[in-house]
Amino acid sequence: MKINSWYISSFLISLLVAIPLFTVFSSFFEDVSNSFEILKNTFLYEYIYNSMILLIGVLILTFLIGTLCAYLVSFYNFPCVNFFKWALILSFAVPTYIYAYSLTAFFENYGTLYSIMKNIFGDGNYNQSIPKFDGMLGAIISISFSLFGYVYVLTRASFYHQSENLIEVGRNLGFSKKNTLFSIILPAARPAIITGLSLVAMETLSDFGAVSFFGISTLTTGIYNSWISFDDLAFANQLSFFLLVFILGLFFIENVSRKRAQFYIPLREGFKKKEKINLKGFKGFLAFFLCVFVFFLSFVFPIIQMFYWTIKFPENFYNLNINQLLMNTLYLVFLTSIVLLIFSFLSNYGNRITRSRLLSSFSTFSITGYAIPGIILAVAFITFISWLNNIISGIFDFGSFKKLFIGSILGLVLVYFIRFYSLAFNGIKTGYEKINRSIDESSYLLGYSKLKTFLEIHIPYLKNSIFLIGILISIEIIKELPITLILRPFNFETFATTAYIFASQDLLEAAAVPSLFLILIASLFILVTSRYILKD
Amino acid sequence: MKKLIIVLLLYCSTSIAGEVNIFSARHYDSDLDLYNKFTEETGIKINVVSGDDKALQKRITEEDKDCVGDLYITSDAGRLGELESKEILQKINWSEEIKNKVPKNFRSDAWVGIAKRARILFYSPERVTEYEIQNLSYEDLADPRWKGRIVIRQSDNIYNQSLIASLIENNGKDKTLKWAKSIVNNMARSPKGNDRAQILAVAAGEADLAVANTYYYALMLSGQKGEEQKIAAKKVTPYFPNQNNRGTHMNISGVGILKFSPNKSNAIKLIEFLLSKEAQDHIVNNTFEYPMIENVLPNELVPGKDLNFKQDNSTDVKLYWDKQSEALKIMLLAGWK
Repeated sequence: MKINSWYISSFLISLLVAIPLFTVFSSFFEDVSNSFEILKNTFLYEYIYNSMILLIGVLILTFLIGTLCAYLVSFYNFPCVNFFKWALILSFAVPTYIYAYSLTAFFENYGTLYSIMKNIFGDGNYNQSIPKFDGMLGAIISISFSLFGYVYVLTRASFYHQSENLIEVGRNLGFSKKNTLFSIILPAARPAIITGLSLVAMETLSDFGAVSFFGISTLTTGIYNSWISFDDLAFANQLSFFLLVFILGLFFIENVSRKRAQFYIPLREGFKKKEKINLKGFKGFLAFFLCVFVFFLSFVFPIIQMFYWTIKFPENFYNLNINQLLMNTLYLVFLTSIVLLIFSFLSNYGNRITRSRLLSSFSTFSITGYAIPGIILAVAFITFISWLNNIISGIFDFGSFKKLFIGSILGLVLVYFIRFYSLAFNGIKTGYEKINRSIDESSYLLGYSKLKTFLEIHIPYLKNSIFLIGILISIEIIKELPITLILRPFNFETFATTAYIFASQDLLEAAAVPSLFLILIASLFILVTSRYILKD
Repeated sequence: MKKLIIVLLLYCSTSIAGEVNIFSARHYDSDLDLYNKFTEETGIKINVVSGDDKALQKRITEEDKDCVGDLYITSDAGRLGELESKEILQKINWSEEIKNKVPKNFRSDAWVGIAKRARILFYSPERVTEYEIQNLSYEDLADPRWKGRIVIRQSDNIYNQSLIASLIENNGKDKTLKWAKSIVNNMARSPKGNDRAQILAVAAGEADLAVANTYYYALMLSGQKGEEQKIAAKKVTPYFPNQNNRGTHMNISGVGILKFSPNKSNAIKLIEFLLSKEAQDHIVNNTFEYPMIENVLPNELVPGKDLNFKQDNSTDVKLYWDKQSEALKIMLLAGWK
């Protein structure tokens, strides 16, 4: 093992990302007395129970929606199938909390649905016959419709790569279509489905916006509350332990399924392109209707609700400084994407040329930052900076550096960096794995330095990956709420924070304008990359 | 490198003359217009970070001596009390002007109230009889005749915690626990939604009586929530409880000066401005709270717009903080979700 500058820089990047993870789980080991001893078991039970129910509900729903849509668009021809292929991924543009706002406003007493019914059928007491999607049910629906895209995209990609040969085998064995689906197609796509579901699960566990809006206490809100509301670090620690168990379980399942996935990668020679089956008549209509239904609920519905309010209360549109919000949002997006891309490149390259197992496993550990809920990460970051500052200022005498990190763009970008590092790192890694190491060797033989190999060979090779990952990070940052809310500088608002602030003064109508812009910009980013995301 | 750090630090720690930095857990958009008015009049610039109360507190505590915030503004006296007890706010010798304007029970050495709010009852005149509502108090809601008829928010809501805190203060722990258990029995549904959702539930016939803050009702009547909600609001009648004894439970929005405030004198100027007639008029007409000073009337749409109801001025709002965690515990023990 050679310790050179590449090694050190990769190590430092991983260390930076890993530090808050240590803080989250170590800072809880302080003992603070409190008066809630007798109630703790009830709380603990409730948090775990709610997290479980939420998780199970979301997983079932995203599995059904995601795989069904992927199956339909991959194996059949029906009206507008090519449109649905990419339209269904637009759901990524809608953050869970904005979905929650729309859902509540539409179905609440005297809400939008009530208005519609009154306009069509005249006066009447419709409130009692309107179903109420709030509480746990509301949270499950909001999260599922904003996240099913993960399952859809991954499953569709896996279906695409399924060879016709495989399906023919089933047909030769006399399998019915149903049998082929359940005995061949779905099992073969299992690794992709599980990867999609574990991403959904991770996001569900760390969700804060939607669950706190619906008043559901989960492990994440529980940790947040016991940490910063009750100053009860011991209990926060206990809860984090359970959250960690959940997350490690997911990592384990995902890893196992990814390992298995290797058996399913089709060989180029044996691959035979599938013929899509034409669905005609009622069946075609049914498939069309199902896709319209999902597309409508996941994307059109929240957009229409927000659009309706913007038209109905246009003053909210005029009163908002949209230019400023746009500039702030894009500023964060570009800065963070660039920093993330550069550093995950460095770190990947360092891993590649040093081939150190220690470094590699350390990198793997550091990317678990994605699993830590943003809100917890932000609080951990503030705690850590303050602790570090106190230690360092005790040794050296050059004042305090807290202001550089707390309430500054630097701090914001740094925490985004930690949160989304895994996204960038893994994305680049996947791209890198496709470049044969012999290319590096040839480059060295030709007298290229390591830096030159990096700049002139790897980067051009990975251009597409860089673009795709940059956009994915951007979408995440446009939607990001809890970290921005806690760490942003004075007088600095984004679309997400503005929407949240209006929503928290019970003015969802005014939250509509920033929400609408947020969704539209994110959609634009998605459209630009749809052909990469759906790469066949 | 060292030079660079020093320059950066200098840059960060120098506060430009003529500004006030506000941490706001009361994120009314209309407050920003009010700050603009202040800037126009005084030339003092105002910078704001708004957010969740506890998260802001955490940020301020960890920033410690480096915190550039001057003013903290929030709703609920209990929260202000917490900031005072944790010494996040500094003690100020308030000017005679402020002392004269703000009644003693709505200020402490560390904070002053800038607006008042009342937590009252909203009932359906169709389903609640004159006899039932007559002389009703918070305590009476425990009566079995209200079984399955009451809606109120979850126990984690700070306004509920302050209300229960005042009940503990007046009636004692044991009685309040018994009361909370009866309330849970009398609930029409498991608690959910915000105060407005409770009022809407009564209007829609899901329940007969709601507990909610007054300004939510005025917001609905204002048309800012659309025509339907305006009609819905008219289907319920506001009622001020405990008029025969201590008066209706009051709470405040308030401000305090942060411990390490770099622009203290400007911050005090801003507080004085917030208590001026101009600012109070702005507040009551935008947030629909009650004015803190005399000679300003609430907005027309607010229940009790003539201020002819009896306010509970005997229960000191400073007590809310001491009793809030006890209040939460009591609600949870009673099975209040």
